[in-house]
Amino acid sequence: MSLQTETETKRSFNQIGTRPVRPDGIDKVTGRARFGADMEMPGMLHGLVLRSPHPHAKVKSIDISRAAKLAGVKAIVTRDDFKMPKDKDLVDICANIMARDKVLYDGHAVAAVAATTKAIAREALKRIKVEYEILPHVTDVDEAMKPGAPILHKGMRTGGMDTKPRKDSNVVKRYKFGHGDVEKGFKQADIVIERSFKTAATHQGYIEPHACLASIGPDGQGDLWVCTQGHYMVRNVCAGLLGLDVSQLRVTASEIGGGFGGKTTVFIEPLALALSRKANRPVKMVMSRDEVFRATGPTSSTSMDVKIGATKDGRITAAHAELRFQGGAFAGSPVSMGAMTAFACYDLKNVQSIGYDVVTNRPKQAAYRAPGAPMAAFAVESVIDELASKLGMDGLEFRILNAAGEGTKSSYGPTFGPIGLKTTLEKAKSHAHNKAKLGKNQGRGIACGFWFNFAGNTCVSLNLQLDGTIALSVGTPDIGGSRASMSLMAAEELGVPYDKVRTIVADTASLGYNDVTDGSRTTFAAGLATIEAARDAIGKMCGRAAKVWGIPADAVKWENGYAKPAGPNAGAFKPMSMAEIAAIAHKTGGPIAGHYEINADGAGVSFATHIVDSEVDPETGRVTILRYTVLQDAGKAIHPDYVEGQYQGGAVQGIGWAINEEYIYGEDGRLQNAGFLDYRIPVASDLPMIDTVILEIPNPGHPYGVRGVGETSIVPPLAAIANSVSNAAGVRLTELPMSPPKVLKAIGEHNRA
Amino acid sequence: MYAFEYVRAKSVDEALKALAGADDGVLLAGGHTLIPTLKQRLANPSHVIDIGGLKELKGISVKGGTVSVGAGTPHGQVANSAEVKKAIPALADLAGHIGDPQVRNRGTIGGSIANNDPAADYPAAVVGLGATVHTNKREIAGDDFFTGMFETALGEGEIVTKVTFPQPKKAAYMKFPNPASRYAIVGVMVADTADGVRVAVTGAGPGVFRVPEMEAALAKNWSPDAVAGIAVSADDLNADIHASAEYRAHLITVMAKRAVAKAG
Repeated sequence: MSLQTETETKRSFNQIGTRPVRPDGIDKVTGRARFGADMEMPGMLHGLVLRSPHPHAKVKSIDISRAAKLAGVKAIVTRDDFKMPKDKDLVDICANIMARDKVLYDGHAVAAVAATTKAIAREALKRIKVEYEILPHVTDVDEAMKPGAPILHKGMRTGGMDTKPRKDSNVVKRYKFGHGDVEKGFKQADIVIERSFKTAATHQGYIEPHACLASIGPDGQGDLWVCTQGHYMVRNVCAGLLGLDVSQLRVTASEIGGGFGGKTTVFIEPLALALSRKANRPVKMVMSRDEVFRATGPTSSTSMDVKIGATKDGRITAAHAELRFQGGAFAGSPVSMGAMTAFACYDLKNVQSIGYDVVTNRPKQAAYRAPGAPMAAFAVESVIDELASKLGMDGLEFRILNAAGEGTKSSYGPTFGPIGLKTTLEKAKSHAHNKAKLGKNQGRGIACGFWFNFAGNTCVSLNLQLDGTIALSVGTPDIGGSRASMSLMAAEELGVPYDKVRTIVADTASLGYNDVTDGSRTTFAAGLATIEAARDAIGKMCGRAAKVWGIPADAVKWENGYAKPAGPNAGAFKPMSMAEIAAIAHKTGGPIAGHYEINADGAGVSFATHIVDSEVDPETGRVTILRYTVLQDAGKAIHPDYVEGQYQGGAVQGIGWAINEEYIYGEDGRLQNAGFLDYRIPVASDLPMIDTVILEIPNPGHPYGVRGVGETSIVPPLAAIANSVSNAAGVRLTELPMSPPKVLKAIGEHNRA
Repeated sequence: MYAFEYVRAKSVDEALKALAGADDGVLLAGGHTLIPTLKQRLANPSHVIDIGGLKELKGISVKGGTVSVGAGTPHGQVANSAEVKKAIPALADLAGHIGDPQVRNRGTIGGSIANNDPAADYPAAVVGLGATVHTNKREIAGDDFFTGMFETALGEGEIVTKVTFPQPKKAAYMKFPNPASRYAIVGVMVADTADGVRVAVTGAGPGVFRVPEMEAALAKNWSPDAVAGIAVSADDLNADIHASAEYRAHLITVMAKRAVAKAG
């Protein structure tokens, strides 16, 4: 049965598209919800990490003897407790969770202690003596690429180059995407604009710090309670790092206070397990905010050059981008995704994007909502805006003229199916916001954004209980309201009320492997699996009714929560409700459950257009966001409240990134602002209402037409805000964040020129 | 946090006795600086003497052109007081922009000025409005109270009891806040008082300071234009990750100009 042919986008829905109360709502507002740090166990120890104060240094020796003697200290682990794994994918993770021969950033873990109290653990950290040999460091991406820069990893040679490099480098790899002849294309252009851009590293800013509770016995059986976006990933990685059988480690995902991509890897979890194994006691670890900033994964800081050419009538003839992303101390910045998404909004004959993945003495970046795409969009959409203005064209018209549509060969390879970009642009054009008048020192900015959306491995179980209610088990942690959406989809398919379905996030022993909640995949993939699991259960329930009625199973159909004879030839039987079928299940063949396992495909790409008005104070450089509208294709909005929440959340994080947020490193290579008092994320009082427009251009890859919505919303804001501020200030801003001193300086330089 | 003895004082006298009897006692009012300092183990007092609940230190009264604010009065009460709003609207406005509602409901004027954080708002009001600081021992002129970064004229066993503000002819406060803490990156109080014009700057330097050039210019011509061309040297100003000394110097002129316009 091919999913592609199963689309039922024209069907009408009874419950999809309604806005019922979220199942986790009361728990969260009353404080009953249990997050990562809320679990306790008898005999539990407290684990803390000793972190490097140096950005780059050889670890010559670690002396734990004085700490080990302290009463109450039950276990200490260092690099000696972690064997380098054979699995190539785990090597960097192993070196990141605990430094090996070198520390590579301020905050890099060098030892961890478990003690009976936190105070004793703190004291023990002070007694650990680490001998460092300080090495020169580099934290800026352009500096790290220069010849003569301090090299982080001996033997690292740049991959993807035309000729094999002969020297060690901080450049991990070069990526290249595109098609056509860019040189030829630029020759056809009447106007070419080339600009350079920079963005600062920002943190996802989730409110809940990383936390876990690990318990592992001498028999090798382990349990881990953890706040994460993917407990199956945590299980597999931790089992690999500790040399455990995967099935011996059971991981349960707690409620999660935000992730935005930042909880798609491990930091303290393997340390807690290693300490627990050594101490033979449960070990709880909770990061402080300082640790979250210094030692988890913010996103990349970037440096980018973009060049776009167009004819007088507004056709883009060629586009070129070179993106340089530093991703911290290890390979894997999202530059490849930046390069793939950079020009995805446009129908281009000649396009090339090149990306350089660079390592520096900063914490290894982790995914942050549409990783890589917001920065690339900032650079590209800024140049698009400037081109439109130089051509004397309206920015929306210019984009509509060049927009990708169904059948466009995308700049990163695939040819698009039905997509909603032009619809978002046209709706933006007719939106009241686009026509509203602007005052003095105010400017309007628009920008488009694209995200791939992921699908991936998914596994769902749907159990019919004896009273006819439904227990639905999914393996994808709920970071954005997915339990409500899953319940809605199961209820829709089964024809029962929403509140008869309870969806839980099952532990790793209860379901097959599920990929992490990332890539905006969960409502798409786990939703698809939920619908299919419900259909599996429906088939079984029809079979039971057939058995009772003594007719063939295919003579029974399912309608609005009832098994009914499929037609007049099937015989006249009173329809059986789900509750009736459930009540006699043990007499008709045993318990009834539906299952579905899939490596899903067909996630369906997504596009958005944002409109922003801002005001710039010309005397201080301060930017105020006045009005904001998000227009985005959702395919089909299952629970519109959550879809709107995702649209607003992306815009708000984008506002922070554009005007405030920034990892600031000192000359000493240490992070200067590891706390919310010096690293400002926007709060309600900083923001206007974020208006949203949900557009529904169905995704043929999903039974209900769903496209992921979580990430696309953070792709346009940096560019849209930069365009708005540039228009308000009368000078092009090319560096983020657009903090007041920076904007004032740009205005001053422009006025003097 | 290190261990300490906690004393809940029932009166100023009792607090003074406890302070005198302690090896190294500290007073706790709103606790906005002391508690984080204790938590970070930057302070290790023998006794924490809580004066936050003392009624005798709380309250606002306005008599004969003088606004009197008890040292234990939280910022929120000053901000919302109809009497203060009427007598010195600039003072209510300043108090209403300190931190956030939680801070304004706990933080006190006495705690703020005794702590003398270089980026706090109240020092600009005390100096800019020519206030008098009253303690259990004496009265100290606002100009003499703030002696250096986190340093004041307060001596051993001395507690701020109230601050009195003479009603100015006109006054206004403008600040450029840190986007996160709302502390002043630069805050300027301008006032036309019976004793002359005052311009007091907080946030920019190691402590609150007056700008005599601006005061002289405003005395001659009370208008935004009078200060628009007066630049303050960046030499002794603060520089941090939020703003350079030059940017702060620039903001002093901008905020002063705006404050004069606001005062009318």
